[in-house]
Amino acid sequence: MNLSGLIEKERLPAGREDLAEPLIAHSQRERILVAMAGSCATKGYGATTIADICEPAGVSRATFYELFKDKEDCFHAAMEVSLADAMGRVLSVYSPDKPWATMVRDAAAEFLDLLASRPAFARMALVEAPASGDRAFELYASGKRVLQSLLDRGRDDPVEEEAIPSSAGRAALSGAESLIVGQILAGNAERLRELLPDIVYITTVPYLGQEEALRQSRQAEKSLESDMGQGARVRSLSPPGG
Amino acid sequence: MERAGVGDRWRPPRGRHRLPPEVVARSQRERLLEAAVRVVADKGYGAMTVGDLTKQAGVSRTTFYELFEDKEACFLAAYDNAVEVLVRRVMGAYESAQGWPDQAAAGLAALLDVLAAEPALARLSLVDIGNAGPAAQRRYRAAIQRLTPLFEEGRDFAPGGRNLPANTSRMAIGGVTGLISDELLAGRAERLPGLLSDVLFATLVPYIGPDAAAREVERLAR
Repeated sequence: MNLSGLIEKERLPAGREDLAEPLIAHSQRERILVAMAGSCATKGYGATTIADICEPAGVSRATFYELFKDKEDCFHAAMEVSLADAMGRVLSVYSPDKPWATMVRDAAAEFLDLLASRPAFARMALVEAPASGDRAFELYASGKRVLQSLLDRGRDDPVEEEAIPSSAGRAALSGAESLIVGQILAGNAERLRELLPDIVYITTVPYLGQEEALRQSRQAEKSLESDMGQGARVRSLSPPGG
Repeated sequence: MERAGVGDRWRPPRGRHRLPPEVVARSQRERLLEAAVRVVADKGYGAMTVGDLTKQAGVSRTTFYELFEDKEACFLAAYDNAVEVLVRRVMGAYESAQGWPDQAAAGLAALLDVLAAEPALARLSLVDIGNAGPAAQRRYRAAIQRLTPLFEEGRDFAPGGRNLPANTSRMAIGGVTGLISDELLAGRAERLPGLLSDVLFATLVPYIGPDAAAREVERLAR
């Protein structure tokens, strides 16, 4: 199954933002979702109150309740939008004639870019959502399954597939995720792009072997350096506490 | 028992039969920590109240607040206890074996065994800790890092170990804990020991590559 098929199968939200809404409500809605993510980042979803959302969004409680049933409904909407954005970015790199490793690198770069540009949403989606109820967890998990299916396609490459456990892609993804979450918790979300070489390595090594995975990782590092301007050295980020 | 428990021998000087306050507090504290593990396993951290803890432990609310600032403090203390037990067992097993892949396999097998035997502890250590706010999450990550040697020594073992990305051990640990959490979330704690070949592969593959990792898994975990 290709990625768009999987996105359909996972019933990822796509249409909700396209609902015909008065323009003003649309932007109020967006401001509310941004405020929700912001409050999740500063005090956590559990401690967030409607007032925490309304004030920075510059909307009244009445407006909030016209647009959302309650705090949870708003949180889920914010998650759905984040997920649709993330999957859109990942899907944009998909091309049937691109080598798998290139696709993984491009997808990881897009994903890190998105997270780095929206730190509050990154925190909400990867730190708060998995711990905030069944529906939020399911949204988080469905996004993860899409990324995992991208990694599992590495299995199509003929590298002793039999011997590689079926969980290899899932383990690699969890490894990458834990590195990303570590950076977010350390307040380094805006530097997430710098993790690209490490993430390319961990996600490709089970299928490509060390030599090729290191080559891919170095290539990712080079592309990062040229993005960051000549002579910029990429430092490996190390979260505190280890 | 050579030494009788404090409660058996200790006699208050003026006939008031009371244990020294610090001894009473210690056992109340331990009961509360055990209660936290049980209550979290039953209803999750979010739904846990101070009332649940005092009822389960048989202490008063006043006592609770003398010992802990709030439910988070009690939970974090229970968590620290749990981590201590886990890390000691895992590193003990790790050190009893010879050579890195064998040591990693021994440490991981011990980890899975402890978690399978104590599902409540397992949930607290690996799943619920993520639901208890940023302080708990940082605690969790610091605890996990104590297992770093189990992974990082792969760098010395691997021929090209020095060329590996700086965050290799963090990612390997994340892979292992991710696989374990998935199993716990699916309610399959008792089947954790069967996960050894998967977590061993996830540990070895970044250091020695898929072919050698598969061979070692075949040798050590089949």
